Amino acid sequence: MINVEELLTELAGLTRQHIHTVQSFKQLPPETLNRKPAAGGWSILECVEHLNRYGDFYVPEIELRIQNSKRRPSTVFKPGLLGNYFAKSMLPKERLNKMKTFKSMDPADSALDPSVLDKFIDQQEQLLQLLEASRQTDLTRVKTSISISKWIKLRLGDTLRVVIYHNLRHIVQAQKLL
Amino acid sequence: MNAVSELYNRIENLHLWEKSVVLERNQYLAEYGAVEKKLYYVVSGSLKVCMRDGKEEHIVRFGYQGDFITALDSFISGKPSDFYIQAIKRTEVKVISKAAYLSFVALNPANRQLWQDMLEQLVLQQLEREKDMLTSSPKDRYQRVLKRSPQLFQQIPHKHIASYLRMAPETLSRLKKS
Repeated sequence: MINVEELLTELAGLTRQHIHTVQSFKQLPPETLNRKPAAGGWSILECVEHLNRYGDFYVPEIELRIQNSKRRPSTVFKPGLLGNYFAKSMLPKERLNKMKTFKSMDPADSALDPSVLDKFIDQQEQLLQLLEASRQTDLTRVKTSISISKWIKLRLGDTLRVVIYHNLRHIVQAQKLL
Repeated sequence: MNAVSELYNRIENLHLWEKSVVLERNQYLAEYGAVEKKLYYVVSGSLKVCMRDGKEEHIVRFGYQGDFITALDSFISGKPSDFYIQAIKRTEVKVISKAAYLSFVALNPANRQLWQDMLEQLVLQQLEREKDMLTSSPKDRYQRVLKRSPQLFQQIPHKHIASYLRMAPETLSRLKKS
């Protein structure tokens, strides 16, 4: 059992940090934003674009589920087996562990300009509003679809954790490039 | 597109499905000792492929929505099957006879390639399954399967997952909580 207030405060805090970090990326010259690490991997813009692609799915999905829910608010959230597993596996480890991505979510080799940073900040502002709106519903009983499998649904609270921990993962990855 | 859905589409386009069958929960799709003369496509629901070992039942594999399923040992060898296939919940399958399917496969090289691709994927899945079986720690077995097919945990009842993992339902409960 997780206290909803604590969870939403943690997730909103992380999201504000992500906005702040990406704001600071806007000061960097395009060469830095596009520089790929020598050992291979994504540039800063590619990390952020990858998150935007997930945001394109999750922001409207979460919004729809909150709007359509008739559940009464609950003060506690009980993670699901899979949701908890996915959320924890997103959290970055001490040495960043590599994970596979899906082709449609791989931004490598697409032309990117710094506008991806603005798009990210927009999405995160919306996400902050959704975190606020989710106080009015039940994080355990409202379910959302996920982008990677048609056959799995996660509890709203788990989906929020997965999305924001996934953001954290790639913001940390981007920061390490500086 | 993957081999499974491509094969399905081709059979569909040629109108080769003989019929649709709806199975109630616990109804058999294939019985122990029968010679398999059909191939099935799961439209909805889920099934288990089992073998009997004295009084105990061991689940070898699950069939989900969007899978092909058959008593494959018998389908290939023409001998009576050591397995039976039973519906876990109300399940709808489409049916094609083995004879019709084999002529469909022989129709052109592309169909043959798709069948080969599907069999290759199956071999890889069976090798993963063999590794499961050789993994002595129940916790490691559980984590392998959780990683490989998370959807299992939202679609298949607990006691069947425990059987598939070769552990008591109580052991699985304990692992899920940890």
